Amino acid sequence: MQRLSRIGLTGLASAVCLGIAGVRADVVAVVSSNSPITTLTKTQVMDIFLGRRTHFPDGSSALPIDQAEGSTAREEFYARCAGMSSAQLKAYWSKIIFTGRGQPPATVTSSLEARKLLSANLNSIGYIEQSLVDSSVRVVLAP
Amino acid sequence: MIRRSTRTVVMALCAMPLSAAGADAAYPGSAASIFSFSGFGTVGETHSSENEADFTNSIFQPNGAGHTRSWSPEVDSLIGGQLSARITPELSAVVQVIAQQNYDGTYRPHVEWANIKYQFTPELSVRVGRFELPTFLYSDTRKVGYTYPWVRPPVEVYSLLPISASDGAGFSYSQNAGDLTNITQGGYVQSNTPLPGNRGAAIARDSINVSNTTEYKSLTFLVSYQHARLTIASLDGFLNTFRMFGPQGAAIADKYNSDSKAVVTSVIGASYDPGHWFLTSEWGLNRSNSFLGDHTAWYVSGGYRVGKFTPYVTYARESAASNSDPGLTLTALPPAQAGFASSLNAALNATLRTISAQSTISLGARWDFASDLDLKLQIDHTRIAADSDGNLINIQPGFQPGGTVNLFSATVDFVF
Repeated sequence: MQRLSRIGLTGLASAVCLGIAGVRADVVAVVSSNSPITTLTKTQVMDIFLGRRTHFPDGSSALPIDQAEGSTAREEFYARCAGMSSAQLKAYWSKIIFTGRGQPPATVTSSLEARKLLSANLNSIGYIEQSLVDSSVRVVLAP
Repeated sequence: MIRRSTRTVVMALCAMPLSAAGADAAYPGSAASIFSFSGFGTVGETHSSENEADFTNSIFQPNGAGHTRSWSPEVDSLIGGQLSARITPELSAVVQVIAQQNYDGTYRPHVEWANIKYQFTPELSVRVGRFELPTFLYSDTRKVGYTYPWVRPPVEVYSLLPISASDGAGFSYSQNAGDLTNITQGGYVQSNTPLPGNRGAAIARDSINVSNTTEYKSLTFLVSYQHARLTIASLDGFLNTFRMFGPQGAAIADKYNSDSKAVVTSVIGASYDPGHWFLTSEWGLNRSNSFLGDHTAWYVSGGYRVGKFTPYVTYARESAASNSDPGLTLTALPPAQAGFASSLNAALNATLRTISAQSTISLGARWDFASDLDLKLQIDHTRIAADSDGNLINIQPGFQPGGTVNLFSATVDFVF
């Protein structure tokens, strides 16, 4: 009886964890499936998206594709990779823009548009929902 | 010189072929026009409990909260627009114009940034034109309220070197190693900034600025050094009057006039910001060898982010080496001259009182209530040293030295 309840509790805990994970671990960083890049760390991905580096670790040029401000994918991506809220991200880019150091990445309006562009551009990197990953793109980071 | 550099940049921007925009429209990274327009601003009100003097955000403002107005929108309110151009992947240009309360009380816009930058390698860039020096952690975006948590960067430290927009040339060299980023910036610049109250201009020549910023994960560490030759001719004129009193008078004039004397500013700053909270501190040392005084100043500020709210607390302190001088020895003078000498001594000490010495504890909160907008409320409790006017200006006869001043500020910052 005791064992049973323990199993029950464990099962419940697992279900809760999976449930939370299912909601949160949704967005993944992807590149074209023809890209030589196979895996990247959070730091490497954020360096590219925050404009700190313009190249992948292998030396090829990296072109980040962002999603529209206010989109769930974008908020989750920066929260999970850099711990940044949309306001913190905006403040970060304001500091870059208004000191003439750069501009934020170009944006697309949806994950489908991101996937389409990514599959056709070897140097680009973006992020889409895990559920939208197909053979045209490769997951390089599941934050 | 200043006008010419600005005009050159504007001409260069105008001469860019508009057809280049969108030439490579297939890809979003290059589909954007080579031009991008951005803006920022702050709408604010500040109330001061001190009726006999004005609180301002910088020495370049003619009036503020307190004596001139009980509630002043002029302390923090401003609006800025910026046109950026990415002409080639290596060549870019930026022009930024800001309208805020000017030295003469007008809101005539001025050019804050106007430079052309060439990225020689991913690590090395050189810029020529007008730009702001990265003396402190927030000095190159001190006009962009949205970029920092407070209503304004602590005046005790940021007033050590109030001049930020300068004309000249500078480089930036960055290195990356794992989580470590190191950026060294250097520049050779000059500036000519008009002062309120018919006091002419603060002219800084041969300014050399070097700063080094290291970022490691959530930690940012800054070291900067600036050496400039500063002249404020209007006050030098008054100080030279002392020369009519022989060697003692000449010694006073030489000690306190600015006359291209070296002004040295050294800063160490660090910020730790893992996301949910931050702790920031900067320490600065400024030696002017003139009536502008010798200062040390520092602050520590911490905040905690709860959803869209960031409450924070700051303690800032600015100390001056000296705020007084015995001046001319009156007993050695004939009575006819002693009266004039006495009034000169009084004027000298009134000038030395303007060397700020004060401490402030601030409580405030930033609320990111909507996209691209924040609202900040801040209370400052400032204790001013007995022999100093602190950072206050327009001191009235009724001003009581050594008192405390409470400020209440409410600002809305926006970016677009």
